[in-house]
Amino acid sequence: MSSLVIKGQRESGQDVRTGNVTACVAVANIVKSSLGPVGLDKMLVDEVGDVTVTNDGATILRLLEVEHPAAKVLTELAAQQDEEVGDGTTSVVILAAELLRRANELVRSRIHPTNIITGYRLAMREGCKYLRDKLAKPVDKLGRETLINAARTSLSSKILGSAESVKFATMAVDAVMAVKTPTSSGKYKYPIEAIHVLKAQGKSAKESELLPGYALNMTRSSQLMPRRVAPAKIACLDVDLRRTKMKMGVSVLIENPEELNKAQEKELDITRDRISAVLKAGANVVLTTKGIDDAALKYFVEAGAIAVRRVSERDIERIAKATGATVQVSMADLGGEESFDNSLLGYADEVYEERIRDDDILIMKNCKSTAACSVLLRGPNEYMCDEMSRSFHDAVCVVKRTLESNSVVVGGGAAEAALSIHLENFATMIGSREQLAIAEFAEALLVIPKTLAMNAAHDSTDLVAKLKAVHHAAQNDDSKSKLSSFGLDLDVGALRDNLAEGVIEPTISKKKIIQFATEAALTIIRIDDLIKIDKKEDDGSVPY
Amino acid sequence: MQAPVLVLNQNARRETGRRAQLTNIAAAKAVSDIIRTTLGPRAMLKMILDAMGNIVLTNDGNAILREIDVSHPAAKSMIELSRTQDEEVGDGTTSVTVLAGEILTICEAFLQRNIHPTVIVSALFKALDDAVVFAEEMSVAVDVNDDSQVLQLIRSCIGTKYVTRHDNLIVDIAFKAVKTVRVDVDGRPIMDIKNFAKVEKIPGGELIDSQVLDGVMFNKDVTSAKMRRRIENPRIMLLDCPLEFRKAESQTNVEITDETNWKRLLEIEEEYVAGLCKKLLEHKPDLVITEKGASDLALHILGRKGVSVIRRLRKTDNNRAAKACGATVVSRIEELKKSDVGTGAGLFEVRKIGDEYYTFITGCKEPKACTILLRGGSRDVLMEVERNLDDAMAVTRNIFVNSKMVPGGGSIEMAVAHRLHTKSKTITGVSQYPYRAVAEALEVIPRTLIENCGGNVIRVLTALRAKHSETESEESKFWGIDGMKGVSTDMRTLGVWEPLVVKTQTMKTAVEAAAMLLRIDDIVSGLSKKKNNDAGYQASNDDE
Repeated sequence: MSSLVIKGQRESGQDVRTGNVTACVAVANIVKSSLGPVGLDKMLVDEVGDVTVTNDGATILRLLEVEHPAAKVLTELAAQQDEEVGDGTTSVVILAAELLRRANELVRSRIHPTNIITGYRLAMREGCKYLRDKLAKPVDKLGRETLINAARTSLSSKILGSAESVKFATMAVDAVMAVKTPTSSGKYKYPIEAIHVLKAQGKSAKESELLPGYALNMTRSSQLMPRRVAPAKIACLDVDLRRTKMKMGVSVLIENPEELNKAQEKELDITRDRISAVLKAGANVVLTTKGIDDAALKYFVEAGAIAVRRVSERDIERIAKATGATVQVSMADLGGEESFDNSLLGYADEVYEERIRDDDILIMKNCKSTAACSVLLRGPNEYMCDEMSRSFHDAVCVVKRTLESNSVVVGGGAAEAALSIHLENFATMIGSREQLAIAEFAEALLVIPKTLAMNAAHDSTDLVAKLKAVHHAAQNDDSKSKLSSFGLDLDVGALRDNLAEGVIEPTISKKKIIQFATEAALTIIRIDDLIKIDKKEDDGSVPY
Repeated sequence: MQAPVLVLNQNARRETGRRAQLTNIAAAKAVSDIIRTTLGPRAMLKMILDAMGNIVLTNDGNAILREIDVSHPAAKSMIELSRTQDEEVGDGTTSVTVLAGEILTICEAFLQRNIHPTVIVSALFKALDDAVVFAEEMSVAVDVNDDSQVLQLIRSCIGTKYVTRHDNLIVDIAFKAVKTVRVDVDGRPIMDIKNFAKVEKIPGGELIDSQVLDGVMFNKDVTSAKMRRRIENPRIMLLDCPLEFRKAESQTNVEITDETNWKRLLEIEEEYVAGLCKKLLEHKPDLVITEKGASDLALHILGRKGVSVIRRLRKTDNNRAAKACGATVVSRIEELKKSDVGTGAGLFEVRKIGDEYYTFITGCKEPKACTILLRGGSRDVLMEVERNLDDAMAVTRNIFVNSKMVPGGGSIEMAVAHRLHTKSKTITGVSQYPYRAVAEALEVIPRTLIENCGGNVIRVLTALRAKHSETESEESKFWGIDGMKGVSTDMRTLGVWEPLVVKTQTMKTAVEAAAMLLRIDDIVSGLSKKKNNDAGYQASNDDE
C-alpha cells in the first residue's frame, strides 16, 4: 500500500510508465479503425440515448469520456489539432501513441527518458525541416485543382467521401473562396466562420447546396409580410420593439386622472416611433435580437417590410458583417431623440424566404459588404447531417490551411514513408544514445501507412516494405526522384503516384501532426510518478 | 504486475467490429418489420397505446414509429427516416423504412463474406445514382392544369389509406384546399398548407359531411346571445388588441387626493372604451373579431348597434380569417383605416354542431386560406382521417411543384430493379454484389404488397420479374402489383400513379441511411450527457 501520509495511491517508476503507455495505446486503438479512406465510423450513445455517428478523431475522443489521466492528454491533443488545423485529428493520436509505445520499449532497454526526449526532439526538428524543404510542393503552380484535391483527401475518409467527394470538395473550395477577404497588409484571410452551415433532413446528401449569401433559419414574424424583397436594405437592431416598459421598480405616478391614458399611449407611441424611424431610413428588412410586439407587426406589414424577431446574437452579428450593417444597440442619438441613420443599414440584392422541408428559411442573397455564404446540408437523418457538417468543416479547414501555407505534401502514407527513410539515414549520422531514439521515431512514422493498409484489409507489412523501398530509391537515386510521390492505393492494395491521383494534404497539417504528437508523447514519457488523491468523503454539507 | 488500466468510463458499454454491425442491422430490421404490414391497399392499421394512455389508430408509417419508444441507436436512426420522408414529401413513410431495412438485410450477407463496408457503401451510392436516373427516365409528366388528371393522381396515392371508401371525397377536399392556398410568386407556386389550410375535426356526423369551406371556421360563438348570428355580406374587422381599458405596462400608480377625481377616474375608463367603440363604428362593421378580450361595456355598445363580436380568437385563426375575407389585422384602433375592413366574405354564420357553436365565415370571393371541416365517428378515426388528408395534401402539393409521375404498385421499383440488375453485369469487381443488392432490395416493395393481400408471393413476383425482363418494350415497365387482388397487372389500366419525388426521395433516404449504418464498426453507449458540449467547436451546431 501507499506510504504516503495523504489519502491516495501512488505509482512510480516503470509501472506508471507502462500504465500510461497502455492507456494511450488503448485510446489510439479505439480511433485507429477510423483512419483513412477505408476507415469506418463510430456510433456513440450517451445516457439519454442521443446518438452521434462520426469518423472524426477529435469528436470521438471528446465524447468518449476518457478517464485515465495520461489518456486524457491524447484527448486534448486531438482537440488541439482540431483547433489548430481542423483535420488530421485521428492521425495525431495514432502517431503519439506509437511514439510512446516505442519510447517505452527504449526505456525498458535501459535508455534514460531524457535521452529519448532529446532524440525525439532532434528527429522532430529534422523531420519538419525535411518536410518543409524537400517534400512540400508549392500550391501556386497547382491552382484550384489542388485545393479541390486537398479537400477531397480530407473528405475521402468521411461518409461524404465515398460517393460525392468531388462535389463536396468543390463546395468547400467555393465556400472558402466566397469568404476570401483581403487584409490591410495585402494578403488574404479566409474567415471560415463566415461560412454558415445549415442542416436540414430530407432529400439526399448529393442535393446539398451552396447558397449565395447568408441563410437565416427563421421565418418572418407575420405571415402577412412579403416573402421576398429586392433590393434589400437591412437594419440590424438589438432594440426591443415590444411595448416600451419601465424598468423594474420604476413606477409612474399619476396625479391627474386625465393623464391616466397617456401613459399607455406613450408606451405604444415610443415603439411606433422607433419602428417608423427605422422604416423611414429606408429599411425593408428589420432584424432584431429582441421581441417585436404583435401589435407592432402591422407597421411592417403596411410598409411591405420583412421583420424577424429573436434572431440570435451570433446570427445578427454575422449578418451585419456580411451586409455592411451596424448592429444598433440603442436608438437614442446625441440630441436625446430616437433616430435611425440610414448609414447603419446593410444591403443585399435580395432577401427571400424559401421552404425547406417543413421549415422556412430566410436567405440574404449577394450581401454587399463582405462575402458570406451558407451551405445547406441535406441527409436522411439527424446523425448523418451532423456528421456531414463535421466532415465539411474539416474539408473547409483543409482548404483554408492549404491556401494559407501555400504548400502541400503527398498523402496516402507517402510523406510519412519519405520522412521515415530520411530520419533513418539521419539517425546513423548521430553517434550517441539519441541514435536509437531517432531510429525509433523514424520507425514510428510508418504507423500511418501501416494503419491505412490494415484498415483496407491489405497486407500491411508487405505494402509498407514496398513503400519504403520506393522511397529509398527516390532519395538515393536522382534518376528515380519521381518516385517520391508514391503512396498507397488502398482500393487495389498497391503503390501509385498519389500526387498525380490528387491525394494531397496541406503541409501545415502534417507538420502539426508531427509536432503535436511528439510533444504529447514527450509529456507522458517524462512522467515517472503518479499520485492519485482519493476523493474527499462528502459529508453532505455544502461548503458555500 | 500492475493493476489493469482503466481508460474509459466504467459505465460505458462497447461493441466493436462485426458484432456492432450485426446488431445494428438486426435493430434496423426489427423496426422495418414492425410497419411492413401497413404497406399497400390491403394494409392493416396499428393500434398504439401511448404513454399517456391515448390510443393512436393509424397505418401511417411515421405516425406509428413516432409513438414507438426504441432504445437501440440504430433503430432510432431508422425511425428518423420516416420523419424525414414525412417532412420532405409527406408520403412514402412506410416504404422508406421497409426499403432501408431490406437493403441492410441483404448487405448483411456481404459483411459475412468479408466484403469491406466502404466497398459496399460506395457501390450502394453508385446504384442509388443510377436508380434515380432510371426512375426519372421512366417518369411521365402530367398536365397540372388538367384537373381530372391531378385528381386521378391524388386518388391513387391515397389508395392505401383508411379513407379508401371515401376516396373521392378526400381527394376532392385535398385538391380544393391546396388549390385555394396556392399563390404564384415569380412564376413558382407556393403552397403554405401548414399555415393557411386548417383542419378542424368535429366528431359526429359522417365522413361524407366533410368539406372544404370557401372561407374559414373556428370554434367560437358570438359573445352575447342577442347579437346577430347570421349576416350576409358582412363587413369584417379583425383586431389584435383588447376592447377594454388597458393599463400601461410600466408600473403605474395613481394618487388621488380628491373625491371627484376618483369618480373621474372611473369615467375615464368608460370613456376610453366608448371612444374605441365609436372609432370602430365609424367604419360600420357588422362583425368585430379580436384576439384579445372585450369588456362588457364594449360588447354592450357594439351589440346595441347591431355589431356581432367574437373575442379571444387564436392568432393563427385570425390570420386565416384575414386571408379569407381580405381584411388586415389591426393592432391599434386609432390607426384603423378603411382598407383594413374585410368585405370579401359572403356569409357569416354561427352554427351549432353537436354541443358546440361554430363560427363560419364562408362564401369568400377570393379565399387564400381555408378550413377543412372533417366529420366522422370518433376522435381516433378523425385523427387517422386527418393524417390521410395530410398525405393527400402533400401529394397534391408535390404534383403542383413537380408534375412528374411514375407508375405505382411496385412497378417502378421492379422496373428500376430490372435495369440495375442489367447494369450490374457490366460492373467488374466485388462492388457488383452490393450494387445488385439495391436492385434486390427494391423488390421488397412489390413483394410486401403481395404478402399483405395474401397473394402467392413467389409465383406472382417471378411472373412480374419475367414480365419486366421479357422485352425492353415500353409496355412492360408499367406492370406492377394490383394490391387488392395480388396479381400482376398494367398500372396504367388500374390507374395507380405516384409522384416521382416521393419515389426518388424514398430511395435516396433509404440508401443513404443504410450506408451510414453499414459504416459503423464501433458502438459505445452509456456515456454521460456531454457537458461542455460544443464549446467553440464549430459554427453549425446551434442551427437546429
